[in-house]
Order: sequence, then C-alpha cells, then structure tokens
Amino acid sequence: MIVLDNVTKSYGGFRVLNGCSATIRRGEVVVICGPSGSGKSTLIKCVNALEPFEGGQIVVDGMAVRSSDVSLQALRAKAGMVFQSFELFSHLTILDNVMLSPRLVQKRPAQSVREESMRLLERVGLAQHAMKYPIALSGGQQQRVAIARALAMRPSIMLFDEPTSALDPEMVGEVLAVMGELAREGMTMMCVTHEMGFARQVADRILFVDRGEIVDDCSSRDFFAGRCSPRAQAFLSSAC
Amino acid sequence: MQVWNWHGFFTYLTSPYIFRGALVTLWMTFAAMVFGCLLGLALAVMKRSRHRALSVPARFYVWLFRGTPLLVQLVVIYAGLPKLDIRLSVTACAVIGLSLNEAAYLAEIIRAGLNAVPPGQIAAARALGMDEWQISSRIAFPQAFRLIIPPLGNSVNGLLKTTSVTSVISMEELMQRSQILVQDQFMVLELFSVAALYYLFMTTAWDFLQRRIERRAERPYRRLSSAGGAGLPPDLAAASRDAR
Repeated sequence: MIVLDNVTKSYGGFRVLNGCSATIRRGEVVVICGPSGSGKSTLIKCVNALEPFEGGQIVVDGMAVRSSDVSLQALRAKAGMVFQSFELFSHLTILDNVMLSPRLVQKRPAQSVREESMRLLERVGLAQHAMKYPIALSGGQQQRVAIARALAMRPSIMLFDEPTSALDPEMVGEVLAVMGELAREGMTMMCVTHEMGFARQVADRILFVDRGEIVDDCSSRDFFAGRCSPRAQAFLSSAC
Repeated sequence: MQVWNWHGFFTYLTSPYIFRGALVTLWMTFAAMVFGCLLGLALAVMKRSRHRALSVPARFYVWLFRGTPLLVQLVVIYAGLPKLDIRLSVTACAVIGLSLNEAAYLAEIIRAGLNAVPPGQIAAARALGMDEWQISSRIAFPQAFRLIIPPLGNSVNGLLKTTSVTSVISMEELMQRSQILVQDQFMVLELFSVAALYYLFMTTAWDFLQRRIERRAERPYRRLSSAGGAGLPPDLAAASRDAR
C-alpha cells in the first residue's frame, strides 16, 4: 500500500531523513514514534508530498510520489491528512469545511456530497454543529471535524501528524476513540503520535524513528514487550 | 463686505452643478478602486512569486508609483501621451492616473494580507488535493480579504479626497467645479465650506458602509455565531436523523 524506499532529505547541511525504508500493507495501522525533532513529522509529510525529499522513493497505492506522470492532486486525494493544529478553514462552516474538497477537487455532485458529509459528521458525533464556524468548537471537536473532512475525500490511507498533541488532556480520548474506530474498520493508517497507550492498543506495527533513521520496525507486541533497540527502550522508559 | 454670506452658502450647497461634481468624485473613486484592486492584486501575486521575471517588474512598478507624486503622474499621462499620439479624454486620463497610483498602494496592502494567512491553512488545502488556483481563490484570498478590510477602507477614504488632485488636468469633479464658481462671485469660504461638507458626507457614508462590511466578514470569527442562525436547517436536520 505504502512503500518507503531509502527516503533521504536534508535541510541545508542537516540530514532530517536518512535512508528510511518501510512497507505498510493494506489495512495496517502503523504508529511512528520517537523523540522530538527525530524526523517523524517530516517522514509522514513526504508521503503526501507536503514535504519534498531528495533521495529514494515513496509509492502510495501504486503511485510514485516523485514522478511527473502522477498528479499531486490525485495522490493527495488518496491520502487523507490530519494535522496537529486541526487547520479547519476558519472562514467556512463545519459542513463547508467537509464539503469543499469533494466538490471542488473531485467535482462530485452537491447533493450527494452534502449527504455524505452529514453522515461523516454524524459519525464523529458533530452533526448538530454543522452550521457553526470552527472557532465555536473545542479543540477535540475541531480535530474530529478534521478527520471527517479528510474522510470525505474517500482516501485509501489516512495520515495523522500528532493529532492529539495540541489538545487539552480531557479531549485526547474523544479523538483517539474516532481513530480507533477507523482502525477497526480496516483503514490503512500512518500515525505520528506520543500516545503510547493508543499505540499499544490500536497499532499493528511501530516504527521507532530517531535522528532521521527508522531504528525499529516491529510489531506493537514486540515493541512494548521490550524486544526493540536500546534507543527505543530508553525512549519508552522515559515516555511511559 | 460681508464676512459670511449664508444665502451664497445655501445656494452653493443646493447647486446641481456642485452636486454633479460630487457624483463625478464618487464614481471616479469607485472606478479607481475597482481597477486599482484588480491591478494591485496582480502586482501582489507577482511580488510574492518565486520567479524574478514576475517579482522584479512588480517591485519596480510599486517603487515608481509610490515614489512619485500623483500630481506628476497625472500631468505626465495628460500631457505626455498625446506626444506619443495617444489621445485620451480628460476623464480617461484622470481614472487611469488614479488607478495606476492606487494600485501600487493596494498591492502592498493585499500582499500583507496574503502573507498573514496562516501557512497551516494552505498546507491543509494542499493536503486535500486543491491546486494552487483553488487554494488562492477559496482559502487564501477570502481569509486575506477579512484582514485587509480596515486598510482597504482607509484607502477608499483617502481616494475620495485624493480625486481632487485631478482638478489640475481640468477634470470637472467636486474641487474643480468649486474653483470654477469661485471665479464668478469670489465667495471662497462659502464655496469651499460646501465642498468640505460634501467630502465629509461622502467619507462618513463610506465609514458606515465599511463598518457593515467589517461586521459581516468578522461573523465566522465570533464564538457564538453560525451561518444558519440557531440549529440546523430543516433538510440537514432530516439528513442527520436519517443517518442515525
């Protein structure tokens, strides 16, 4: 589904990503964790080409990210992304946030997009807020809308970039619950997160990233049982 | 000699000749603002471009038109173009001069507005598959517009009065017509007071209009607001029930 092959990226002289390789199969939930500044977010943003990279290859559902015959728009429609700071469009209502891209980019008919968007909002528990503007919602609610907005494009994979890091503690649960449900329904997910509880319960696999390298690539069971690198063990003992 | 002639004052205040001059001032402001915004938008986008072939000409334009007086620009257009065998009416020269000058200032205002749109909003639009044109027209410009209403309103207010400069190329707007009438009866104070009142009335009306536009644009950013008043519109409520 997603193949990362020897992905390399530098900012100036600094290597942010250094030969990252991994394969993510359909329906798999992969959590990417690691210390701050290790390159986790950069890695996930390379998958939908929000960040350019210099070396290696990424293939998403048969489409090579860095090739001239694959349109960025088509690639991004396949990979839904949820950001740390939600990034709902502040000038649009909740419903318009969800409807905008299916209408504009995929040119789907208004009536069906509207109905599907309402179903998605219903699913994240926010249908009654459809006509409000983002500012009227709490952080957790905004993030759930952001998930619905990404799903409205009918993506085949979902990318989460620290989706709960900007939330007050009491709102983390509601967002993780939506993500967990999505995982159980079989969505292919790549998720950068510090929520080790979520990783333990929901993830099939863990990629532990440190200093731009994928140090560990193992099952969640092995990872939390301590069958991982010393660096990951040190990270775990400080994080949990 | 009388100090103040009330009769003269009211005659001028109700004079259709002066009134039509004020109308000319109004529509010149409107025209210059429309053309200025279009050109200013193009200049702002060019100036932000990574390509020097676009940004350098835009920078040169803004430098030139902000660096020279409007008065000089108007005279150059009015007296210079005929030497190139381009013959335009006084009105055309006045509107062109005002628009070209205003565009340079508006370009800077629009550019600042676009720069102030949070980069995360653009990244989110990109991640949703929008192309650059869709991002600009649906996300960047609408959000920038809200931010630039106050300085834009300032420009309209300034332009209402700046149109008076076109009197130097004999454009018959409010100022020029007042000056013409002064030649007749020399009631300088009465006439220019009338002109001042007209300008005050127009700028006050604009103030009122601007506040309404501002309130409208701010609506999404007030916490307890929604697009459809209280609750869901009936069809959405129904859809929401069906989904459940």
